[in-house]
Amino acid sequence: MKQIDVATTASVPNRAGEAPRLSVSNVCKAFRIRKGASQPAALLQVLKSISFEVYNNEIVSLIGESGCGKTTLLRIIQGLIHHDSGTLLVEGQPVTGPGRDRGFVFQQPSLLPWRTAQENVEFGLELQRMSATDRAARARKLLQLVGLGDAAEQFPHQLSGGMQQRVGLARALAIEPALLLMDEPFSALDAQTREVLQKELLRIQAETHKTIVFVTHDLDEALYLSDRIIVLGARPGGVKEIIEVPFGSNRPELPLLRGDPRFQALRSRIWELISNRPTL
Amino acid sequence: MALTTEVDDAARETELEELGGSKAARKPYWLVRAISIVLILALWEVVGRQVSPLFMSYPSAIARAAVQLTASGELWGAFLSSMETLTLGFLLATIAGVLLGLLIGRYRYVDAATDWLVNALYSTPLVAITPLVVLWFGLGFSAKLFIVFILAIFPVLINTASGVRNVPSQLIDVGNAFAASEREIFAKVILPASLPYMMTGIRLGIGRAIIGMVVAEFFTAINGLGALIIKYGNQFETAAMFVPILCLMLMGVVYTAIAIRFEHWVAPWRHTEDE
Repeated sequence: MKQIDVATTASVPNRAGEAPRLSVSNVCKAFRIRKGASQPAALLQVLKSISFEVYNNEIVSLIGESGCGKTTLLRIIQGLIHHDSGTLLVEGQPVTGPGRDRGFVFQQPSLLPWRTAQENVEFGLELQRMSATDRAARARKLLQLVGLGDAAEQFPHQLSGGMQQRVGLARALAIEPALLLMDEPFSALDAQTREVLQKELLRIQAETHKTIVFVTHDLDEALYLSDRIIVLGARPGGVKEIIEVPFGSNRPELPLLRGDPRFQALRSRIWELISNRPTL
Repeated sequence: MALTTEVDDAARETELEELGGSKAARKPYWLVRAISIVLILALWEVVGRQVSPLFMSYPSAIARAAVQLTASGELWGAFLSSMETLTLGFLLATIAGVLLGLLIGRYRYVDAATDWLVNALYSTPLVAITPLVVLWFGLGFSAKLFIVFILAIFPVLINTASGVRNVPSQLIDVGNAFAASEREIFAKVILPASLPYMMTGIRLGIGRAIIGMVVAEFFTAINGLGALIIKYGNQFETAAMFVPILCLMLMGVVYTAIAIRFEHWVAPWRHTEDE
C-alpha cells in the first residue's frame, strides 16, 4: 500500500514554522475479536501508523469507506478510546483521556432529553463550574450563532433533527475548545437540511475561526467543507493520501461548486483512492 | 432562509398534534364511560338484592353501611391507621429501592453479588413469610411496616436498576466526551435518564404495598382496614365488609393516579415520545 509521507504533504508554505493544533504521529489501534467462545481471539488492526497534522483555523476531513476506522480515530483524538501506540498532541499536550480542550459533535445529536436547548448547551459549562448567569449568557450567544436564538426554551423532542444537531454544535462550541471534532454530524439528516447545515458550518467556522476535524463518508461534503482531506484506506486504516482542497475560503455553494472541473477531478481522484479501483 | 425547511417541519408537527388532540377531545368517550358505570351499578343492585345478604351485598346497602361506619368514626380510624403503615412502609421501600437499584444497575459486581437474591425474593410470594414476620416483630406496627416494605421494595429496585442499565450509551458518551467525572455522570446523566423507570417501579410498588398492608392487617388484626374486613366478615355483615374494600380500591386508584401524574411531570419528553 502506498503510504505518503505526511511531513512532505502537510508542509504547505504558509504553515512552515507554525505549531500544529493537532499532531497525530504513528497512531495504531487494534481490537480483539472473538468469533465464537471456543475460537482463539483474533486481532483486528483498525488503524496502522496514522500520522497527520491539523493547523489553526483549518477544516480537515477524514474520509474513507465504512469500517476504515475514521470514527475510531476521531474518538481516539477525543480520548474516548485509548490508542495502542503512537503520539497524539493537542496544542503540544499529549492526549491521555477526554478533555475540555476538545469539543465533540456526535453523529446522533445525543442531546439530554430532560434539558431545554439552552440547558443542553450549558452542559459542558456546568462541568467547568461556570456561574449560572455566565452560563446562560454564553449559551444564548451560541444558540444565536447556530441560528436557534428563538428555540432556547424548547426541549429536544420539540426540535427537528437539523435543529437538534445545531444544538449539539452549540454545546460543543460553548466550552471554547481548541479543536472541534465532528463525527459524521450531518449523515442522519435529509439531503436538503444537510446542505443547509453544511453552509451554516462554513459560516460559523468563518465567524469563530475554529479548527475542525470532520469525519465523513460523503465525498461532496468533504470537498465542499474542507481545506484538506485525509483519505484513509481500509483494514488496516492508514493514511493513503492527504489532499489539498484549492477552493479557498470564499467558495461557492455546493451545487455551483460541483460544476468546477477541479471539483470533479478531485472527486474522482478520492473515489479511486477509497475504492481501490480505477476511475470509471 | 437557512431555517425555512426546519421551521416548516416543526410548524407542521405542532399543527398535527393540535388537530389530533382536539379531535380526541370531541369524541364522547366520557359519555360511554358514564353509561357503563350506571349500567353496571344498576345490574349489581338488581342481582345483589336477589342473593342472601350473607353472601353478597349491593350498592345501596353498602352506601348505607358506609354512612354508619363513617358516622361512628370506625372507618376513619381504620383508614388513618392503614395509611400510616402504608405511607411509611412505602416511603422506606422507595428510598431503599432507589438507592440499591442505582448501585445494582451501575456496578456489575454489585449486580453479580445480588441478582440471584433479588430474583429469588422477587419470585417468592412474600406474603408467605407473614407468619414468620409476626414471630420476629410481634403483632404490632413494625411487623406491618416490614411486610409493606419487603413487598414494595422489589419493583422499585428492579425497575431502577433496569433504568440505569438502559441509559443510552450515547448519553453516557456525552458525559465522557465533556470529561465529566463518574459522580457528575451519575448525577447529570444516569439519574435523570433513569427517573422514568424509577417512577414506573414506584407505581408498580404501590399496588404491592397495598396488598402487603392488607395481608399484614389480616394476620395481626388489631387495627386498620384489613382488620375491619376480617371483623365484619366474621360477623357476616357483608355490606359493612365491602366498605373497607372499596376504601382500599380508592386508595389504590388515587395513589396510582398521583404516581402517573408525577411520572409525566418528571419525564414530559417520554410522555410525548410515547404518543
